[in-house]
Amino acid sequence: MLELKRALDAKGHCLLEMPSGTGKTTTLLSLIVAYMKAHPLDLTKLVYCSRTVPEIEKVMEELRKLMNYYEKEMGMEQNILGLALSSRKNLCINPSVSKEREGKVVDGRCYSLTASFVRARHAADDAVPICEFYEGFDAHGKEFPLPPGVYNLDDLKEYGQMKRWCPYFLARHTITHANIVVYSYHYLLDPKIAEVVSKEISKTSVVVFDEAHNIDNVCIDSMSVKITKRLLDKCSNSITILETTISNMKENDSKRLEKEYKRLVEGLRDATIARETDMALVNPVLPSEILEEAVPGTIRTAEHFVAFLKRVVEYIKTRLRVQHVVQESPAGFLRDIHTKVCIDRKPLRFSAERLASLIRTLEISDLTDFSPLVTVSHFATLVSTYTKGFTIIIEPFEDRAPTVSNPILYFSCLDSSIAIKPVFNRFQTVVITSGTLSPLDMYPKILDFHPVIMTSFTMTLARPCILPMIVSKGNDQVAMSSRYETREDTAVIRNYGNLLVEVAAAVPDGIVCFFTSYLYLETIVSSWYDQGIIDQLQRHKLLFIETQDAAETSLALINYIKACDNGRGAVLLSVARGKVSEGIDFDHHLGRAVLMFGIPYVYTQSRILRARLEYLRDQFQIKENDFLTFDAMRHAAQCLGRCMRGKTDYGIMILADKRFSRADKRSKLPKWIQEHLKDTNCNLSTEECVQICKRWLRQMAQPFSREDQLGISLLTLEQLQSEEMQKKIQQRAQGV
Amino acid sequence: MDDYQTCPKCKTTKYRNPAMVLMVNACGHALCESCVELLFAKGSGACPECKCPLRRNNFRVQLFEDPAVDKEVDIRKRILKEFNKRQEDFPTLREYNDYLEEVETIIFNLVFDIDPTNTNKMIDNYKKENKDITQKNRNRQSQEEMELEELLEAEKAQQSEKANLYVNAELEEKKQKHKAREKLIDELMFSDADAKSIVASHVQATAALAKEQPKAAAQPSSGVVKSSKFSSGIQIGLRGQHTNSFLPIPKQEDLPLYRYTAPVFDYDGPPPPPIEKLGKLNYFANIRAANIAERAGGYTEAMSCCRALQEALGGLFYSPQLTHKTAVLATNSSTQDTDDMETT
Repeated sequence: MLELKRALDAKGHCLLEMPSGTGKTTTLLSLIVAYMKAHPLDLTKLVYCSRTVPEIEKVMEELRKLMNYYEKEMGMEQNILGLALSSRKNLCINPSVSKEREGKVVDGRCYSLTASFVRARHAADDAVPICEFYEGFDAHGKEFPLPPGVYNLDDLKEYGQMKRWCPYFLARHTITHANIVVYSYHYLLDPKIAEVVSKEISKTSVVVFDEAHNIDNVCIDSMSVKITKRLLDKCSNSITILETTISNMKENDSKRLEKEYKRLVEGLRDATIARETDMALVNPVLPSEILEEAVPGTIRTAEHFVAFLKRVVEYIKTRLRVQHVVQESPAGFLRDIHTKVCIDRKPLRFSAERLASLIRTLEISDLTDFSPLVTVSHFATLVSTYTKGFTIIIEPFEDRAPTVSNPILYFSCLDSSIAIKPVFNRFQTVVITSGTLSPLDMYPKILDFHPVIMTSFTMTLARPCILPMIVSKGNDQVAMSSRYETREDTAVIRNYGNLLVEVAAAVPDGIVCFFTSYLYLETIVSSWYDQGIIDQLQRHKLLFIETQDAAETSLALINYIKACDNGRGAVLLSVARGKVSEGIDFDHHLGRAVLMFGIPYVYTQSRILRARLEYLRDQFQIKENDFLTFDAMRHAAQCLGRCMRGKTDYGIMILADKRFSRADKRSKLPKWIQEHLKDTNCNLSTEECVQICKRWLRQMAQPFSREDQLGISLLTLEQLQSEEMQKKIQQRAQGV
Repeated sequence: MDDYQTCPKCKTTKYRNPAMVLMVNACGHALCESCVELLFAKGSGACPECKCPLRRNNFRVQLFEDPAVDKEVDIRKRILKEFNKRQEDFPTLREYNDYLEEVETIIFNLVFDIDPTNTNKMIDNYKKENKDITQKNRNRQSQEEMELEELLEAEKAQQSEKANLYVNAELEEKKQKHKAREKLIDELMFSDADAKSIVASHVQATAALAKEQPKAAAQPSSGVVKSSKFSSGIQIGLRGQHTNSFLPIPKQEDLPLYRYTAPVFDYDGPPPPPIEKLGKLNYFANIRAANIAERAGGYTEAMSCCRALQEALGGLFYSPQLTHKTAVLATNSSTQDTDDMETT
């Protein structure tokens, strides 16, 4: 808290690693809210970004608790408005639209009911359908601000039902004057969405990225484009639709096209006005200088622009017809497109904006058909805007199936700092936090920013409630490792199996195992089956396996939880980087032990990864191996952290690979795990490991009451104010 | 993927004959290679679809899936050879954009055969009017192209250099590791010292090496970027692009020459001992001697000692009565023997 206060005072960015389950969210919320109350001028807004909808709900729950506490203590209504925002899919209350299950379809349907020209048409002709909730909001909702309080998604929906206002647009409208906004990363990082949603957030805000351990991947994803053959075919179709619509419109209503044309001659002035006074978030897809210039003459009229798009699409098609992998820089691509189809850089830059304008003019209400074309136009704009930090990779087939032709063009962002730069530049304080950020110095490097505070916190615990161990060999002294050379070795696989069987016999309730990849999981399970290990395992516990199918996995999870709840005990075999490893908690009896079989390195042969590594090496002097280890260890730590969700919880963490005990891997684990990882537990065999487990479990099984914690990890008010404690806290704060 | 491509004349498909190649001529209708040979055996003939008179020499391999695009690109290339004005040729951006649109319209008309007589007239007019500009522009690259070329060039240079550098660095590292290990083994074999202490010192040495490594790695980045500019800001290798670079270098105004005057210090205590005498006065007895590596960089223990002494005695500099007096004195006597302050 002290660190956070310092960062807020300094108006700088900070990077905090806090173990999961120690009240990270509450700490952040309570301090920032208090700061907001104390310095209302310096700090006006808190933007809290989380990853998934359940996580957003959890934050809202914490916030509600905090507000209730404030009310109880201060005895009056708090004038603070907090709300959550999610996509239309989660917020729509229109009975016909909300039935749709896919997010994109809901967006398209919503647009077709609420776009301004549809409503204009409705005014003329009652038969045209519109959304009554949006009408209600538009008529009344804009004048009346939301009363102060805390609104999660369901509250917003309820409020919308009551007033018959559209909750989605209500929430978006309210963002401008709410004190606390909670939403997903993408609303801030993805430039296409940030432009629409987040542009009116003032500079004096605090932005918190929670669970931010893979924030660099989110940044990269938001700026990368993937173009397949099928996408291009769809593009061709939508271009024909555009052509016919234009010719139709020319016959019936040529005035509108003329109007658009005139506006384009004048330049994209309207957009410039919005961006004046530095109010809006700068969009990296569309650099500011473009807005000040007029659209180049080559794509000014609608027909010319459609012909232009056609050429671009056809050109990319020819590029996809390659027989071998091609990798080139944006500059090379631009030169090639110039010589092959005579397209200059400038019109390419404008293509995204021009397409949006054209679709608006043509009054096309169903946007879902055009998403491929929009993707291509974004690609065109990006490729012509950025010459550094990006690469183009064309693969004629996948590595796993070299005979099936499936050409894909990857336009891959290599520099995660491009997408996040506007966020750092714009807001006075950005807090990046997660349970697993180690090693801390990597993040400022790859995100290219200068934090004022960068710390890793440990837990104050009344008992040693985590037991990390590194098991490096089996009972037969054969080294255990998922190294490429030994991963097919039956001795290694058998040793892994024996380890699991013995741990399953010793540990009660749930055990979660993580493998390095789906492929590895499958080969191991099949050879365990041959060796009879599966039978032995099933004598102790039920067995569940994660697969690539999301529905299957969630079914397995439900049954796993059932098996743990009724005391039968279960083993879940899952994959690091999979769905289970991110965001699903195995607290208390659901995860008494976590086993990590091997080090979860990424698939290093991927060309995109190679390109990124090369870029990191050249630009930031990060060695390839360092980055790979960093990435592998943060995923390993993420998996291990699944079993610890609070101070009363306890769990065993077994790292089953010889390589974990090396200094470069061990030092990259978070501090709160390292603290408990003793040197004596670093090179164990299966037998020793099981012995330690048994002893530790007996110790943990003793009743653990509130009194035991008091004075160590839990403080009463008197204790907190006592002089001795104050001294201790002071010492700690200085020591960090 | 291209299996459904068919020759409109003989109906061969790519699927049945993988060697089939489609060709396009000025009219934008495709024909397979064998049909072209058959129909245009004489060297010229009519397009089987639109009856356009065509020459065999003008047949090109179809690049794009849609032959219409091939045709358009063909026309575009031809037109752009004539219409090659640059933005620099126009006074305002607006006029340039108007010009671009005009070009686009001409191409569009030619592709879709709209109003051919008028369009051709327009082209002819333009050709006559702008003969010299066209000629001139043909010989020079546009600003943008140049920029791209430069980028590519820089990329290439950087890539090769970096690759070399890192390969070398890695090799070096491996060698060093190998050496260190051999040295350790040798020592363990031949020396009489305690094995534990040898191993400990070895670990220390490797740790120290590892610390130095990142510094070494950070260095090359600054040195690698090859400059494409002279220090004066003129670009290397681009002759005649920036005509104004041949202007005479503007003459700088003459100022009176700078003359050094030693600053005057006055203080109220004993003067700090001069740097040369520190050794004689036995000041070095109390400080750590500089090691060889430090000395190599030009550092001597006298420097830090002298600085520390000066700092210690610095507090005596201030004396309010004296400053006034000596200010008057200073005008008379220009230098004092406090110059040794400046030597550091």
